Amino acid sequence: MKTVNSLNLLDHLQNDTRQIMVKLNYLRHEDPEILVRQPSPGKWSVAQVIEHLNSYGRYYLPLLQKALDQSTWPANQSFTHSLLGSYFTRSMLPKENNRITNKMQAPKGHRPLVDIDSKTVMDEFEKQELLLLELLNKARQTDIGRLRIPISIAPFIKLKMGDVFGFLIAHHQRHFVQVKNTMSEVGSLRSENTGLV
Amino acid sequence: MRCGFGTGTSYEKGSRKPEARSQKIQGISDLRHLTSDFIFLILTQMEESLQILKKFIFAVHPLQPEEWEAIAGIWQPVQYKRKTVLTAAGETERHLYFVLEGVQRAFYMDAHHPEATVVFTYAPSFSGIIDSFLTQLPSRYFLETLTASTMLRTTHQQIQHLMDRYPNIQRWILLSSSHAMRGVLERQIELLTYSAEEKFRVLLKRSPHVLQLIPHKYLASYLGIDASTFSKLLASVRIE
Repeated sequence: MKTVNSLNLLDHLQNDTRQIMVKLNYLRHEDPEILVRQPSPGKWSVAQVIEHLNSYGRYYLPLLQKALDQSTWPANQSFTHSLLGSYFTRSMLPKENNRITNKMQAPKGHRPLVDIDSKTVMDEFEKQELLLLELLNKARQTDIGRLRIPISIAPFIKLKMGDVFGFLIAHHQRHFVQVKNTMSEVGSLRSENTGLV
Repeated sequence: MRCGFGTGTSYEKGSRKPEARSQKIQGISDLRHLTSDFIFLILTQMEESLQILKKFIFAVHPLQPEEWEAIAGIWQPVQYKRKTVLTAAGETERHLYFVLEGVQRAFYMDAHHPEATVVFTYAPSFSGIIDSFLTQLPSRYFLETLTASTMLRTTHQQIQHLMDRYPNIQRWILLSSSHAMRGVLERQIELLTYSAEEKFRVLLKRSPHVLQLIPHKYLASYLGIDASTFSKLLASVRIE
């Protein structure tokens, strides 16, 4: 499988995370009422999409944090993606043209309610993103190929920490494409000129 | 225009292209040759970059050879694509950059105001969210590249270490930050008292090249004027 420089990988993942944070901040300029508007019945509002991401953060971030705090592995220059890890990340990532072609059904426990407050949801996501950046920093001191994290849909499968970071952030990117599409569907006047592109 | 610690004075156009590397190579010896050539190229570029840095530092505060050697050893070359976010608001700035190519900007945004461009940086000057870097408190600003950027990068930990060890390096940091503060206060006056036209004139007189370098909407946001006002001024104001 593909071997990469660990620090470069972590740098990239941090930059991707910060990009998401800029997009999140542009959303704060939008009317809160628009953020909870569903484009059509059954389709998620922007707030629901972000709450969906929060629900994964609540699962993965504490696990990542615990693993990093307890780790005794020294830093390792290189990281080799596992077959399964690359597969998960690839299936998450938006395609070249910034489109989502493979739709998925969110598992139980990750389907957000319609009636949520957009500010609360965005505040939580921002906190999670800051924690994620911090964990990506901590990860520099250890071996992200040795530490393993059980995945949420099948806790008996443990993936390398480097792969977990990878697909978690790809998942964010995937859903921020959805956020952009949702914004144009619910008819925001401002979305053309926001940094959501 | 204020740039990190100092004032950007020149900018070299055109960016290096690393694509040449990606050709398929046959035979191990070719690979070895290419690798050693490549390492040589990187080392020469690094040496050139450090000379630019040295000139820039010494213009503010000359250092002893031993002190310069210590500083020269802490930098790592980095390259970023355009629109890469290097620091997010809420995060603490760990890095100090020295810009070799490209333009970066720091900006502020909240829910109730249009975003505000705080500072632009370009070669040769330092970059990074300077207050967060020095205080190690969370940044209130985002830092992003506007164009593909080549920079040298070091960490707060390394700078701190050198400051603890060499009083003269601490003095250089103090002097540089003082100059930066001078620039920030001067800009305060301009923002508080100047009319849109005066701000526009001062900017173009001081840094005329930024018109080609930086998208006008960001220049407008840097001056705190409307993008439409900016284009009107651009059409009507003559700069001698």
